[in-house]
Amino acid sequence: MVNGYAAASLDEALNLRASHAVVPYAGGTDLMVENRPNVTYLFLNKVSELQQIFEDGDYLRIGAGVTFTQALSDERVPQIMKDAVALIAAPAIRNAGTFGGNLGNGSAKADSVLIEFAADAKIRLQSLRGERIVPVEEFYLGRKKLDLSDDELITEVLLPKTGLDLYYYQKVGGRNALAISRVSFAGVFAQQDGKISNLAAAFGAVADTVLRYRDLEAMLLGKTLEEARGLKAEYLRAYGDRMVLTRGRVSAEYRKTVCMNLLNEFLTQFGI
Amino acid sequence: MEKISESVVKKDHAPKMSGRSVYVGDYSGDGVLTGKFLRSTLARAKVLGVEVPPLPDGYFYVDKTDVPGDNNVNIVLDDTPVFARDTVEYIGEPIGMVVGPEEQVVDRLLSEIKVAYEELAPMLDLRKADTVFFNYEYEKGNLEKAFAEADKVYEEEFSTGYQDQTYLEPQGMMAEPEENGHMYVHGSMQCAYYVHGAVMRALGCRPDEVHILQDVTGGGFGGKEAFPSILGCQVAVAARKANAPVRCIFGRREDLEFTSKRHPSLCVYKVAVKNGKVTGMDIDVKFNSGAYTTLSPVVLQRGIICASGVYSFDNLHVHGRALKTNTTPSGAYRGFGAPQTFFAVEMMMNHIARDLGLDSLQFKEANLARQGDATSTSGKYHFPIPLPEMINEVDRACDFRRKHLEYEKPQTGRYRKGIGMALWFHGAGFTGSGERDHIKAVCKLHKYPDGTVEVLASNGEIGQGLRTTFPKIVAHELNLPLEKVYYNHPDTARVPDSGPTVASRSLMVVGELLRRAAIKLRTQWIEGEDQIVEEHFREPDFMIPFYLDKFQGDAYPTYAWGVGAIEVELDTCTGISKILGAYGSFDVGTPIDYNIVIGQMEGGYLQGIGYASIEKMDYDSKGRIRNNSFSDYLIPTTKDVPNLKCMLHVEQYPDGPYGAKGAGELPLVGAPGAYVAAVEQAIGGKVSLHHAPFTAEDTLNVMMKEAE
Amino acid sequence: MDAIRFVLNGQEVSYEGNASDRLLDVLRDTYRATSVKCGCKEGECGACSVLMDGVLVNSCCVAMGAASGSSVTTMEGFRETKRYAVLDRAFAAVSAVQCGFCIPGMVLAAEALLSKTPHPTEDEIREGLSGNLCRCTGYNAIVNAVSAAAKEGNGLW
Repeated sequence: MVNGYAAASLDEALNLRASHAVVPYAGGTDLMVENRPNVTYLFLNKVSELQQIFEDGDYLRIGAGVTFTQALSDERVPQIMKDAVALIAAPAIRNAGTFGGNLGNGSAKADSVLIEFAADAKIRLQSLRGERIVPVEEFYLGRKKLDLSDDELITEVLLPKTGLDLYYYQKVGGRNALAISRVSFAGVFAQQDGKISNLAAAFGAVADTVLRYRDLEAMLLGKTLEEARGLKAEYLRAYGDRMVLTRGRVSAEYRKTVCMNLLNEFLTQFGI
Repeated sequence: MEKISESVVKKDHAPKMSGRSVYVGDYSGDGVLTGKFLRSTLARAKVLGVEVPPLPDGYFYVDKTDVPGDNNVNIVLDDTPVFARDTVEYIGEPIGMVVGPEEQVVDRLLSEIKVAYEELAPMLDLRKADTVFFNYEYEKGNLEKAFAEADKVYEEEFSTGYQDQTYLEPQGMMAEPEENGHMYVHGSMQCAYYVHGAVMRALGCRPDEVHILQDVTGGGFGGKEAFPSILGCQVAVAARKANAPVRCIFGRREDLEFTSKRHPSLCVYKVAVKNGKVTGMDIDVKFNSGAYTTLSPVVLQRGIICASGVYSFDNLHVHGRALKTNTTPSGAYRGFGAPQTFFAVEMMMNHIARDLGLDSLQFKEANLARQGDATSTSGKYHFPIPLPEMINEVDRACDFRRKHLEYEKPQTGRYRKGIGMALWFHGAGFTGSGERDHIKAVCKLHKYPDGTVEVLASNGEIGQGLRTTFPKIVAHELNLPLEKVYYNHPDTARVPDSGPTVASRSLMVVGELLRRAAIKLRTQWIEGEDQIVEEHFREPDFMIPFYLDKFQGDAYPTYAWGVGAIEVELDTCTGISKILGAYGSFDVGTPIDYNIVIGQMEGGYLQGIGYASIEKMDYDSKGRIRNNSFSDYLIPTTKDVPNLKCMLHVEQYPDGPYGAKGAGELPLVGAPGAYVAAVEQAIGGKVSLHHAPFTAEDTLNVMMKEAE
Repeated sequence: MDAIRFVLNGQEVSYEGNASDRLLDVLRDTYRATSVKCGCKEGECGACSVLMDGVLVNSCCVAMGAASGSSVTTMEGFRETKRYAVLDRAFAAVSAVQCGFCIPGMVLAAEALLSKTPHPTEDEIREGLSGNLCRCTGYNAIVNAVSAAAKEGNGLW
């Protein structure tokens, strides 16, 4: 084809990626809006290896080419991810949009990426040189900046198979469908032997990347619920002090208030 | 239900449903040049020079020097230029146009043009704006006395933002030079004769040297009332210069940013109350006109006439001004100035009632106008005002009175409910004596020898159903099957001027002319003959003459009435108000087609709810509109108001066809008053809200201030 | 360089242009499938919805290279089907078509929904059509029409 390459297999895709200056095209729903001039796409939508969901050991491996619609009808995909993906735009976008594309776009508003942050997901990157598996938090370097080399492709999202059942998720958009997140929040909770073992809190669409503060989460880890309740005010204050949010379609102040409200709701829901 | 109200399959259903309808963008592009604008990047500047790169063969640059006639677009006044004069007055003002066969080349050429500006300080603040385009004032009674004798006097300020019409088909026009030297202009529009007058003047030619056809039009809502006159002139001038067909179809961003939208407003109300009744109002209304006057005078007229709402009292003073700012010119949008003032007066009434310790609905009911009362302009409500019955209908549909009492109690927890009601009217037809003095509508029926009848009028089908309802009226009078009567999109070369497609007038005013024409044809009917009958507008004889200089008399012959209630559930964590239900009772007289009228009510009501809640558009400190894309300017989707219930209440109007009144604009007008009242109640406490749209962010802001 | 081959409304076609061209533009300009409307070119209105291998997509957000090897259905093809006839009657019966600009996309969204969910609830209909903006109707008539078509077309979907 003229000014584009279509890969039929992952091998071919990696070869093309290594030998040409191409922009990987997964679903097109962001790229076509950007409408970059004189761009050469590497079309990945016919690469069947990327369109599978596998289970192994500790992880659910979601191929980068899996669409949101596909994930919604797969019973292995955890509910927290389905909650977020179901609210992406509308059916036509969910039919085309993919997990890999959502990551590759590099936006902090990406609804599936928020869940990946909250779930401690990892990203598999492949090139002819080999592969790397990177925690999603490390994959995002900054606004629209990814730890992705020119010859690499995002090939899989590795989502932990356990520990995602107790969660709190809320998206705040401008309307009930076709809405880009203005604030989004995902929290994951776990308790072991009466003590909090996980209290992941991820904030989307409010800064250059999805935000997660592990040192602040640590304040309540290993605590009983009662101890955590005692520390709650201090914990919330610490978040309030730390979060410096950007303005966008809504003000930074609004975003901050909503983030704090949702964080508080998350804690309250799990008895803190 | 009356026979005429029974729904039929719309005449334009099949071609639109199947995608066969040809909109202006759908004509083949073979041999057609694409036109795109060079637009001002500054809100106010002198244009010192435009440096155009060498143009390839077949490409042209068009600007004010190419206008063969007058570089002023005829709207109400003539201040809008076809192409910018020596200064530009808003960001996006068309300085010139590049036309040529290949769109990419046109884009490249545009990017290479250099404009030298001398930047001037723009006026962007409506509060400080000092260029008064229009200044109207009227009064009745003795307001000073009313304030002096009042138990209490209230004063509040209200503001409303832009609203974009957001027709799904963006603006688009095409001009084609004809072999005889005439110019043929066609496209997406509401008012073929407006475009005709404007293009004639820009080209400096006779009426018969230009003709205008309305193509299938993908929605208007006022946005295609005046704007197509400007775009029509621009493509016609370009086509004349290139001596080839030129088409200009707007992109969505271009359309959102640079075409006319609803006037932002600022209203101050001062109200005297005595013995639980309103005795007087002093109202100051300011509309942001943007850079040129376009339709501002008539929008402002309607806005100030409606400013005292559906209430009756003796002492009133209204002062309205349309002010210039260096922003996109505002224009017509469904409701035409009335949604702004109805929002203000309805919120004002709620706030007064609360202060008096009264139920807001009871307070409103106590002040309602009744048949025979004087209108704001000392005309008369000639016909029954069915608001009390309509209030009861809405109450039955949503249990308003009980819920309103219940939600008034202090609420705790994350989710809180509120319900609000607004009452309003819409005066159908042109304001004052406009129909009689300016429009002077003429329509014709052409009966062909085979017995089919063609309606000849200039009103455009824009989705509201005229291609169906006009023939229904004629077929009904002639006892013909509906298939025998048809109405095509108007071409000024073959239809008389029955006036523009605006002001909810087409069905009520032109429909009645057609009914009379049909009666005439029936009495003259000769089998097998080719016959034409004609009818002219006649003002109903009960009208009290309207004087625009004093704003005195009947501004409208009759009124359509609306009662709307909206119930919300507010999430105090996010500020989002989920709409649990929106209920409306609408009196537009006899529906000429039940489905069509219900479709107008539901669509208009939802637009009004959008205006009240999520449709936020504003400009920045440079005067640039920021909400210029569909991800930034949000209109309701299928999921935003799933529970939308509209009912019809029929109070027939003797001078409309079979009792029909104007319908199109009514359902939008009062929605903001109902929605914001609901949010206000859900927030609770003593919070008073004063602007629309009222967003989730606004809600949290107010709640945080309350908490401090 | 091979042309991009795909099936358009049952006919094999090959496109010689650029792989990054929009499917929307190519459908309208090259193949004159003008039922496919352009409302925003940003995937935010649904007016350009088409079916690609039976799945609803916004054709403004599909590059031609991604359409290679696919089967694309626009209203030009769909209007020849029995399913269309059922939807047509249902939309006509409630006057669900006003300005008409959203309608071809809306009807294809309805087809995509009913293919997957032949007996949808009102909520499912509203979800299925949620990417298709209509400014005229307030949506009730359209939702009612799709609901009626689902009942009427029992067995067709």
